[in-house]
Amino acid sequence: MKAKHLLIALAVLFALVVIVLPVAVIFQRAFAEGFAVWLAAVSEPETRSAIVLTVVTALIVVPVNIVFGLCAAWAIARFKFPGRRALLVVIELPFAISPIVAGLCFLLVYGAYGPVGGALQPYGIQLMFNLAGIVLVSLFVTCPFVVREVLPVLSVSGEDEERAALTLGASGWQMFRLVTVPNITWALVYGAILATARAIGEFGAVSVVSGAIRGQTMTLPLQIELLYNDYNTTGAFAAATVLALLALVTLVLRGLIALTHPVRGAAQ
Amino acid sequence: MTLQIERVSKSFDGTSAVLEDTSLTVRDGEFLALLGPSGSGKTTLLNVVSGLTRPESGRLVLDGEDITDLSAGRRRFGMVFQSYALFRHMNVADNIAFGLRVMDRSERPSKAERRERVEELLAMIDMVGFGERYPAQLSGGQRQRVAMARALAIRPRLLLLDEPFSALDAKVRRELRDSVRDLQQRVGVTTILVTHDQAEAFGIADRVAIMREGSIEQIGTPDELRAHPASPFVESFLNAA
Ligand SMILES: Nc1ncnc2c1ncn2[C@@H]1O[C@H](COP(=O)(O)OP(=O)(O)OP(=O)(O)O)[C@@H](O)[C@H]1O
Ligand SMILES: [Mg+2]
Repeated sequence: MKAKHLLIALAVLFALVVIVLPVAVIFQRAFAEGFAVWLAAVSEPETRSAIVLTVVTALIVVPVNIVFGLCAAWAIARFKFPGRRALLVVIELPFAISPIVAGLCFLLVYGAYGPVGGALQPYGIQLMFNLAGIVLVSLFVTCPFVVREVLPVLSVSGEDEERAALTLGASGWQMFRLVTVPNITWALVYGAILATARAIGEFGAVSVVSGAIRGQTMTLPLQIELLYNDYNTTGAFAAATVLALLALVTLVLRGLIALTHPVRGAAQ
Repeated sequence: MTLQIERVSKSFDGTSAVLEDTSLTVRDGEFLALLGPSGSGKTTLLNVVSGLTRPESGRLVLDGEDITDLSAGRRRFGMVFQSYALFRHMNVADNIAFGLRVMDRSERPSKAERRERVEELLAMIDMVGFGERYPAQLSGGQRQRVAMARALAIRPRLLLLDEPFSALDAKVRRELRDSVRDLQQRVGVTTILVTHDQAEAFGIADRVAIMREGSIEQIGTPDELRAHPASPFVESFLNAA
């Protein structure tokens, strides 16, 4: 009993000091001078453009991620092909690679002096230091989320159901839409939420390829750092609350899913 | 419908052949049991018939029509899986109506017609009033019957049953065996049942085909098999009863 209480106390204390306190302080600091000041700070043109850029990036990255994740998970779960295991490892690679290293890799390949970027240069296509670059690295760092959530659900369930659908006359697309997708909806949503959170919050990889053009290629995390380094703490904390709020929304959604679907994805 | 399976072969990624020049004729309207030990290739043969598995060689002929290259959906064979494979996110009525719902627009029955057909089938399997339930809320026997109804809904040209009773306890199994046979007689659909249970095969089928390592060892009525077992292997099956 003693040990149990000690463990619980430790866990709660840890969560308070390491997680809750810092987040709470952000909000406290951001609103310290009142709501009007906060509103003015987040309405700053640069901060506003950073919010827009961040949301736009997420809106591009997450759908692409969902489509790619579905395709990859399905291929891996349903087909045997050479390189299947290798594909699985490759998809997980972004988890293992430090984001800043990933950013540098992209710069080397897609930058003006890289093989791909250099080849595109004559056509006036630039992939780095703009939205394209930010989207590319965000795709990289979020790549594993959907696959990782969907693949286990797909592997353990549904193959017989898919086959049954085929014998009942369903086309491949009907089978996918009416049988496969409903079985993995929650895993898919969960993966998408995780990917969204990451896409919104990514700092390291994006900072390398963004080019840091004020009011243009600054995502919210970059903008926060910029404001902070400019000694504009009010602005930095206000912007941080926006990011924290976005994150909280995804967190709440995630909690709701966990609540209504205790075994994620497996409907029954 | 008469199905001729002609010299069908199938192996899985380079391993030794699971089916090797397997031939079998299923007569119009008959209930044929495919009996064999585990691993003898029964499911593989059934999957070849259903169109879910492509044979490496051989032909399938249904009433004179070569269906070897026809997709599973176009064959319109009703299949009941060992796991039942009910769509777990759909209720019983939607499960049964699935085959009607995915039909080409030109053939697809209207919503009202589909509902009517579902009611008819629910009555047939003795499950009126269960349409709104979900598969998870059914007993094993009920699930099996829903899987039957779903397969029959498309008015299949052939009914394929892969060990449909193996997940049930002995008493339910006996009851369902009779009701499946009864349904088959009423609908008059040519049926192949796969099983490794000798009593089940002999109890339900017009003819029994005994399968061993991918080929048909002997085929005949239960009486014929009992009277003239062609090999010690067949005999060993009879004795197991
Ligand atoms: N998808 C597959 N990949 C590789 N080998 C397979 C595959 N399906 C079946 N086999 C092999 O083919 C052989 C026959 O399998 P099959 O499932 O047809 O047997 P069965 O008679 O239905 O057995 P059971 O009574 O256990 O269901 C087995 O040795 C099995 O390992
Ligand atoms: Mg089998």
